[in-house]
Amino acid sequence: MRALHPFTLIAIAVALPALAWILPAPWGGVGTVVMAAALLLLPGGGSTVQAARAALLTAAPFWFFLFLLHGPGGAVDTGLRLTTMIGSSVWLIAALPPPRLVEAMVARGWPVSVAFLLSSTLSAVPALRLRAARLVEAQRSRGLRTRGGPLIRLAALRALALPLVLSALHEVDERALALETRGLAPGIRRTPLAPPPDSPLQQLARWGVVLGCVAALVWRIV
Amino acid sequence: MSVRLLALIPVAVAINLALSAAVDAVGLPLFLDTTGTILVTALAGPVVGITTGALTSAVNSLRNPTFWPFVLVQVIVALYAWVAARGGWFRSFKTAVPAGLALGVIASAASTPISYLIFKCATTGGIALTTKLGQLLGLSPLGACFFGSFISDFGDKAVTFALVTSVLHALPRRTAARFPLAWRAVGRAGV
Repeated sequence: MRALHPFTLIAIAVALPALAWILPAPWGGVGTVVMAAALLLLPGGGSTVQAARAALLTAAPFWFFLFLLHGPGGAVDTGLRLTTMIGSSVWLIAALPPPRLVEAMVARGWPVSVAFLLSSTLSAVPALRLRAARLVEAQRSRGLRTRGGPLIRLAALRALALPLVLSALHEVDERALALETRGLAPGIRRTPLAPPPDSPLQQLARWGVVLGCVAALVWRIV
Repeated sequence: MSVRLLALIPVAVAINLALSAAVDAVGLPLFLDTTGTILVTALAGPVVGITTGALTSAVNSLRNPTFWPFVLVQVIVALYAWVAARGGWFRSFKTAVPAGLALGVIASAASTPISYLIFKCATTGGIALTTKLGQLLGLSPLGACFFGSFISDFGDKAVTFALVTSVLHALPRRTAARFPLAWRAVGRAGV
């Protein structure tokens, strides 16, 4: 599955939850959950045991709260649909490394700025999270009180959030300069180094998936 | 879109998603996951804000795909922040906090149909539990769902607006000069 073109993987991952909501419950949901589980668990699906476990851990609280709010009868239909959505997304993330998606987008003529936003965001988030954790430790070591009444906590929140946000904004100029020196400007086209291979069969399969969803929707409405 | 704005958007998304560490440290029932969206809208306008909001939902969806349907709420937050910035509502806490409370009502009204139709209101733990409380209080299913969203969003957006106000007022002059819209947001147009 990992060898498939990124757009094909995305088409599969989007079609499964779409069908889960379109097809009549509960059997439509059962079918799509089985397909999502097969992608996650079968060898060659491109996923890992950790990914399957992550999907299970993400879906479990939804089942709990659905049972709490709607009882067993009301929980199954939505639970199956949500499990399909979670399973197919977790599978997609495991099977599709972001750089491969960026290469596919660039090869297909997408603006390089879109590809940059995606890849840059994915690297910026863990870096700032790490800085936030360090900042919390540093402020605590300076004696910041983070527990107590709501006003004390709000004051502590300000003392933690303000330097984090200001330091992040301070970086924008450096990042902009680095991008300019690398020649990134609006309207510029980049040549992908290793564009993922596509084939007419995969393109046909993608259209087939889209038409399948549309046909299911028309069948449900009519 | 200029290179500076391109560089700003990933930073704003990271702010949206990294502030949870500060929230966890103080143990308050807040999200602050729209701080970056509101801040960049005040700094650079609605297009940058909407892009930041959509990208936040996309990146959040990698961790938990149930965030994706709420992208519409991020768009509404960005548009509202644009109105707030143009109106100079970030000039002080006295104007920012009520504006944040109003956004809490708007955001919960926008998220309730999504939560009700797609998730049957079983979204995150806190919201699901307050929805259950709404059910026990005798509210209709949709009313209980709104109650759950409202309880979680109301205070969160007020604190977010207050935080953005603090940031805008604390911006170094050099940084603020690069984002002229920030002056208008804090009621100092033409400075």
